[in-house]
Amino acid sequence: MQEAIIPNGGVPSRLRAFLLPWRAARITPLTELTQAARLVPPAAMVATQLALTYWLWHALYAGVRVSAGLDVAQATTYAMLGVLYQQFSTVDRWSNGDTMVQLMTEGTIAFWFLRPVSARRYYLIRAVGDIAYGGGLALVAYLACLGIGAIALPPSWPAAGAALITLVFGLAITYYLHLVLDLICFWSTVNDAAITAVQFATGLLSGAFAPLWFFPGWFRHVSAFLPFQTTLNVPLSLYVGRLPASALGIQLAVQAAWTAGFALFTWWLWRRAAARVTVLGG
Amino acid sequence: MPMPAGTIVAENLTKVYRTVVRKPGAAGAVKALIRPDHTDKVAVGGVSLSVAQGELLALLGPNGAGKSTTIKMLCGILTPTAGTVEVNGIVPYRDRIANARRIGVVFGQRTQLWRDLPARTSLEVLRDIYGLTSADFSARIREFNRILELEEFWETRSRQLSLGQRVRCDLAAALLHDPPVVFLDEPTIGMDVVVKEQVREFLRDQVQRRGRSVLLTTHDMTEVARLAERVALIDHGRLVYDGKTAGLHDLAGVTWRVHVTVDGRPGATDVPGMRMTRAEGERLTFVPHQSADLTPRDAVRRLIEHLPVTDIRVEEPDLEDVVRAAFGAGR
Repeated sequence: MQEAIIPNGGVPSRLRAFLLPWRAARITPLTELTQAARLVPPAAMVATQLALTYWLWHALYAGVRVSAGLDVAQATTYAMLGVLYQQFSTVDRWSNGDTMVQLMTEGTIAFWFLRPVSARRYYLIRAVGDIAYGGGLALVAYLACLGIGAIALPPSWPAAGAALITLVFGLAITYYLHLVLDLICFWSTVNDAAITAVQFATGLLSGAFAPLWFFPGWFRHVSAFLPFQTTLNVPLSLYVGRLPASALGIQLAVQAAWTAGFALFTWWLWRRAAARVTVLGG
Repeated sequence: MPMPAGTIVAENLTKVYRTVVRKPGAAGAVKALIRPDHTDKVAVGGVSLSVAQGELLALLGPNGAGKSTTIKMLCGILTPTAGTVEVNGIVPYRDRIANARRIGVVFGQRTQLWRDLPARTSLEVLRDIYGLTSADFSARIREFNRILELEEFWETRSRQLSLGQRVRCDLAAALLHDPPVVFLDEPTIGMDVVVKEQVREFLRDQVQRRGRSVLLTTHDMTEVARLAERVALIDHGRLVYDGKTAGLHDLAGVTWRVHVTVDGRPGATDVPGMRMTRAEGERLTFVPHQSADLTPRDAVRRLIEHLPVTDIRVEEPDLEDVVRAAFGAGR
């Protein structure tokens, strides 16, 4: 009589069972690469958007040397990196039928609860794969922009380090924001309005539409109490030197607090969601 | 005492859904939002069943009877409102991870493959998710390939597979980790007869040779007749029959018939324990009296003794008719 293969026989086996599921992170890159032609339109859009952003900010600075504490190189670099972040921090899975709301509507979300990797962990693995894939594309675009001199380097190594660390936390907070939206599907499969609202708020309040330093003081004051500015404004401000590297401690503390808060909230949401899976007609 | 691997035991399994009652019109919609009225719908009401190691049980019932809800509670997706369930000695909804390593599930109308990846890549992703070694994976695929012939199409993206090809891949995906218990919810729905037979052969092989326990829901009575020695009938969320497939005849009151051709028109057609139901010239049809404990073999002997028989044929009732009649009897 056969037995199930249960990888619990010793440390190597358990380690394999822990590590191997991370290979599911390659699902998005593999999916995208099987349809390489699909990469062309987004690439053309990003290139156009980057070029327009560059020309726009140079035109705005035509008669001004410094505005809102940023010179033309800082403002352009901030805005162009904002474009890259907005385009590549998430990957569109809609056309692959692989978004949470689609899986919920089709009922195939059930399989997330029938595998030896929890739904929460599987979601994380897939998101890490998406971020790595998007990050790779963003890095290529960043190096290209750097190569042609459209984007400036950080003013110092500490500034670069601080920007990188806060970018990691920024991505974590972005991940949690998307997770909250996706988990809404367990209560209502109509989450389009919420997604649109949060996408707009993220773009506006994170600095992706325009550097937050150009907004009125009251606006920046309000946004300081929201999680969005920690996702992008903080790393970009550190990158361009608008925030000194010495501000890293306080910024990290704020990001860590948001990350911890979201982690706890989504942990609770996952528990509630997993208890109310009512799919496939049952 | 913990249940051994390969067993399913459910006692008084119940699932009640609480839904909001919406009255028609805008006022009804607003009321449902502000002060909703709730109603309870019993999808499954106190179902008890068990499957032994290496057994195939067919769970039958009309649409909306509660089959799928039952299977979803057994495989751990849904949490029962009441009752107990153990699969391989594990409470499935409480320990989903441990349960997932020991069960395989196929929903005939849903796929667990990633639709833009080649089928083979989807299986490789599942290999990683289950933490299988490459050697185990290759051995399994070789085994499945023998009957399911996966290699013919497994470089094709899932969205481009035919239904039959897709379900064969889903079967392989469900059994990749060698689970002792398999749940199959209408696995052959919409398939052509050739692929259906291929899937049946695969299931027979998995039960008889590999000793897997299988709970199968289907509307295909040929499948039941060929695969299941035991069936459970569920209707309106309640179990109306659990026993041998052959025993369904007793519940339904549908029985075998004997068609005889006689030499000339006999003077009398009285045969002890039997009743004539049709006479067309020399062709007569008999059924056993309800009170008579008669086997088809006895009936043939008696008919030959009492009538000038030139030809005789015993007709077993069609399983579909039996099940239809059984649902009528169970209500």
